[in-house]
Amino acid sequence: MSQAAEAQVRPATPWFVRELPLGALQLFGLWALNSAGVWVVQKVALPLPGNLVGMVLLYALLALGIVKLSWFETAGSLLVRHLAFFFVPITVGLMDAGSLFAAHGVGIILTLAASAAIGIMLAGRVSQLLLRKS
Amino acid sequence: MVAVSEAALTGFGIALTAGAYSLSLLARKRYPSPLTTPVLFSTAVVIAVLMATGISFADYQPAKNIMTFLLGPATVALAIPLYKNRQTFFRNLVPAGVGLLAGSLGTMIAAALIARAFKFTPELVSSIAIKSATVPIAVEIAKIVQGNPTLTAVLVVITGMIGASFGPWLMDRLAITDPISRGLALGTISHGQGTAQAATESELSGAIAGVAMGLGAVCTSLAAPWIVPLLA
Repeated sequence: MSQAAEAQVRPATPWFVRELPLGALQLFGLWALNSAGVWVVQKVALPLPGNLVGMVLLYALLALGIVKLSWFETAGSLLVRHLAFFFVPITVGLMDAGSLFAAHGVGIILTLAASAAIGIMLAGRVSQLLLRKS
Repeated sequence: MVAVSEAALTGFGIALTAGAYSLSLLARKRYPSPLTTPVLFSTAVVIAVLMATGISFADYQPAKNIMTFLLGPATVALAIPLYKNRQTFFRNLVPAGVGLLAGSLGTMIAAALIARAFKFTPELVSSIAIKSATVPIAVEIAKIVQGNPTLTAVLVVITGMIGASFGPWLMDRLAITDPISRGLALGTISHGQGTAQAATESELSGAIAGVAMGLGAVCTSLAAPWIVPLLA
């Protein structure tokens, strides 16, 4: 029997058998880095979010070649792809902010729109000007 | 309301949120529009169901705490796209870096000043000032600058929607045509939603937006504790 036929008879390990323990291990690694970030912030009394320090830590470990991208990629790209999901429970808190929006909704939206426009104009125009000069 | 065990309520909250999110992915695929952005759409569905069933936000809180546990590790994972796109960014470091600083500081100061002109409370001014950082980082900065984390999350999401939907239109009017600049502006001001929008324009814009989202958040969290107390 040819090898190809044999491979058909005996299917490869299903993806989740390989990916799930790997993903869980990677998730644990990301959690550990986050905890390390939170710990550093508390210890040094930095005015920075702990998760941001964890992110910088992971970047530094990758850049220094201490860890490999592939060690975190399965869980990491899944989390990044579905990052929006984790915001939903937070924004559901809006249901308690109804009175605030009833009172100041128009002002809040105007403030957000105007400041976003100013920021986009500054970031876009300034970088484009410098890119054309260089 | 009939007495329901807290565990059942928590399970329902998680199932509802996961279901609403899955529905939003389908809705976005079929009807792509700013209104079917996953966060906006899922939030609207969850709130509607909670209100219809008479469940308060306090009842939903345990479910929320379980789900947001992964937000920290998810933020750490943002280092991955940052690392993957580092070469494009470093090649254009000075123009992109100066643009990023101008954009993220400019929008923070403008937002705080306009919010003050509306005579909002200091808590609201602080929350508005940091709205361009990505949600998981913004909610943490909110605690540092005496803003309100929940309110901040909402303001960040609204900013994301405004920037992603009207940003490209505005940049066309302002003759901002360079794909690096367009990606930079969208990622700096509208974080994840802006990055998703930039990625639809070109791969380069998307990559730059991803880096800008990460560095913009770094910039905001470094500057906010100094600038926001002066303006709030």
